[in-house]
Amino acid sequence: MEKQLKTILKLEDLNLSFGSLSALLNVNFEVKQNQILSIIGPNGAGKTCILNCINGFYRPNRGRIFFEEKDITRLSSPKIAKLGIARTFQNIQLFIGMTTVENLMAARHIHLKPSPLAAAIFFGWERKKEIKHRRIVEEIIDFLDLEPYRKKVVGTLAYGLRKRIDLARALALEPELLLLDEPMAGMNTEEKEDMTRFILDIYELRKISIILVEHDMGVVMDISERIIVMDFGHKIADGAPKEIKRNPKVLKAYLGEKD
Amino acid sequence: MNPDETLPKLLRKRAEEYGNRKIAMREKKLGIWEEYTWSEYYRKVKYFSLGLLSLGLKKGDNVAILGENKPEWFWAELAAQAVGAIVVGIFTDCLPSEVMFYLSHSDSKIVVAYDQEQIDKILEIKDSLPLLEKVIFWDPKGLWNYKDPILMSFDNVLGLGEDYEKENTGVYEKHVDRGNSDDIAVLCYTSGTTGEPKAAMLSHHNLISNARGWFDADRFKDTEDYVSFVPPAWITEQLLGIACSLLSGFNVNFPEEPETVQENICEIGSHILFYGPRLWENLNRMVQSKIMDSSFMRRFLYNLFLKVAYRIVEEGRNKTNANLIWKILNYLGYWIVFRPLRNKLGLLRVRVAYLGGAAISPDVIKYFQAIGVNIKQLYGGSEQGIVSMHRDNQIKPHSSGTVMPQVEVHFSSEGEIMVRGVSVFKGYYKNEKATKEKMKDGWFLTGDFGYIDDDGHLIVIDRMDDVSELADGQKFSPQYVEVRLRFSPFIKDCLVLGGPHRRFVGLLVNMDIQNVGLWAEKRHINYTTFIDLSQKAQVIELIKQEIIKVNQTLPEWNQVRRFINLQKEFDADEAELTRTRKLRRTFVEERFKDLIQAVYSDQDEIMVETPILYRDGRKGFVKTNIFITNVWEKKS
Repeated sequence: MEKQLKTILKLEDLNLSFGSLSALLNVNFEVKQNQILSIIGPNGAGKTCILNCINGFYRPNRGRIFFEEKDITRLSSPKIAKLGIARTFQNIQLFIGMTTVENLMAARHIHLKPSPLAAAIFFGWERKKEIKHRRIVEEIIDFLDLEPYRKKVVGTLAYGLRKRIDLARALALEPELLLLDEPMAGMNTEEKEDMTRFILDIYELRKISIILVEHDMGVVMDISERIIVMDFGHKIADGAPKEIKRNPKVLKAYLGEKD
Repeated sequence: MNPDETLPKLLRKRAEEYGNRKIAMREKKLGIWEEYTWSEYYRKVKYFSLGLLSLGLKKGDNVAILGENKPEWFWAELAAQAVGAIVVGIFTDCLPSEVMFYLSHSDSKIVVAYDQEQIDKILEIKDSLPLLEKVIFWDPKGLWNYKDPILMSFDNVLGLGEDYEKENTGVYEKHVDRGNSDDIAVLCYTSGTTGEPKAAMLSHHNLISNARGWFDADRFKDTEDYVSFVPPAWITEQLLGIACSLLSGFNVNFPEEPETVQENICEIGSHILFYGPRLWENLNRMVQSKIMDSSFMRRFLYNLFLKVAYRIVEEGRNKTNANLIWKILNYLGYWIVFRPLRNKLGLLRVRVAYLGGAAISPDVIKYFQAIGVNIKQLYGGSEQGIVSMHRDNQIKPHSSGTVMPQVEVHFSSEGEIMVRGVSVFKGYYKNEKATKEKMKDGWFLTGDFGYIDDDGHLIVIDRMDDVSELADGQKFSPQYVEVRLRFSPFIKDCLVLGGPHRRFVGLLVNMDIQNVGLWAEKRHINYTTFIDLSQKAQVIELIKQEIIKVNQTLPEWNQVRRFINLQKEFDADEAELTRTRKLRRTFVEERFKDLIQAVYSDQDEIMVETPILYRDGRKGFVKTNIFITNVWEKKS
């Protein structure tokens, strides 16, 4: 049952190649507002390439990407972030020498518009602004149960926690579209359960759209509304979890085929 | 005392006295300590109470509260009591089946619960609870899409109360006026070391008079801070956190999360503190393991000044005067080691710290005295309240202090402690039979074995049922040995074995994985799992040496001769420990009966199968060889 909601992101005939190697071939799909869409596929299928194209790390060779009807294909990453697309990374990207709260405050920079003089003496408006931003950060800390680690240096924390802080950092941008690149990779069962709950909470409370790249099929089937299956740069299937489970092409890509 | 005193009346008195001029509570929220004045406290209680009234709560109904220590717990408790309802506290780490037992046994009509985790438990079982009418939650996080009509938010109830007030002005005050000190205030479930928990009914009079004795002994000031994190389902928090704060007006501070308690205590610099024995043990264990891990110079200074401090405390106890050199050294020790150490532990400003609820090694008390903490042991229970406590400058590590003024203590011919007085409960809820068994001619039979020494201090030895004897008729207390063993940083838990059909004392040990792991790492001993580490020859030798240290302080017939280093930890979720982390002796003995048999046989090794449940529902077994080790060679 597809919701009658407006399209937030649209990919049109996306093509990406590195030299003669085609990473993406004519990929088309849409993300609706307040939808969890998962991209699955074997290693090297082009899942992360899609995310990298969306947030401007890669320039597609052909095709266009629209975010809220605006063409963002040629925009730089910072500009795309400002428009409201945030992401987490497979290899966590945090300042490991800084504390959790500092990392999150740093992530607020796209919303900070300080006047250098006032900021230097930390007076008046600047002070109020800082408090306002800290409050938003604190709400995210509360939301993701990060209170015990607020003032801990990120480099000293466990991997599963860093993943959660990476998610918090992406949330601190207050995005409308969140790209999650393997948020459960390398986690134990309990951490995965927590992470799943957090993703669902984000989706329910903040009403944002999420694109999830993930290998854990249990999680993907449970929480996605729609799944896109990639194989060698092609989109081979697109549909609800139930349909995907039955799709012969998907089974072939995942399980191989008898000769 | 005023015979009509109730907790809600005390609150009204404090609110009239302090109004908005003094804070009553602080709660850490979004990283900031938010304050509530006494007027705000009073208003929250009033409107929540009226909200409950409009939901149909009546005098004598029961209201269960299931949550962490938060202002909402206090507000909900006093609000329910203001209408004459009875409060039932439930521990937050209870499993749904346990919550089910408490809710159905207590006939609770309304539950006030903290968050999604607790709400999920209740929703899972609510269909088998016909009396349950409303479930109120105070943290809406994660509950946005819950549509069950039984749910209601705390703020909505407050709103109902405000509306109710408009139509029925003064009705809250009337209800409070009607309160009688003999009304039941709370049901405290006994921790249930033996069998099913029973609910002790405690009246306002029980709580207030007992708390007043405590307040008189330590004169809490209204400028002092207390950090509330002992579960309010426990009698201690009812007395100290709720009743004593209402009597003295000290500030109650609520931690942000259970995981941040230690950090929050440091921030507040609490003057009054209550830790259970396990927490004091853990704190001591933590310091010991950090010291083990530190540089040579630090270890040297720490050990040197600790020796000095022990000596000074010892001299003080014997009322002799230490000579000047020791005093100077002790002063240096305070500035170089103990002041910073106490600061790290959040114990710098502590004026008085308590421990109670279970037995503890006197070594732990001596240790904290040495580093300069005014630590006092209490003895009491859900049914009898606080019976005895240490007084300033009269602290004997082996005793539980002197008897409270409003309480009398007597001993049966077998040495069982019997208690009579204002703090003794009104009986068990819905259990006449158990009440009759435990009350004899107005005396409450505690089931504890003990005596009063020459200084008038109460010495509690063990549970009557647990005092055991060996085949040769020698009496001994397993707990006495256990608490001493637990002082070792490497032993987290243990079960001492004995009994009339056994020739000697045996032992099951639960090693402390963190400290043993650290120890093994430093010696380059490779290990994979808890099971693997526990059966390493070097680890068994380490534990053996720790046991020998304790053995040297025990009479020969009481010494541990054979032990097993267990391959798994005792766990409250598997019913091996109670929720307050007391050992369930008979249950554990039954569960590990094969191992126990092996301790008393000639075997040196035994194969055990540990059942494992995989996530897809398959069951499997892990086979392990467990070693049985002799500590004590038999003299031929």
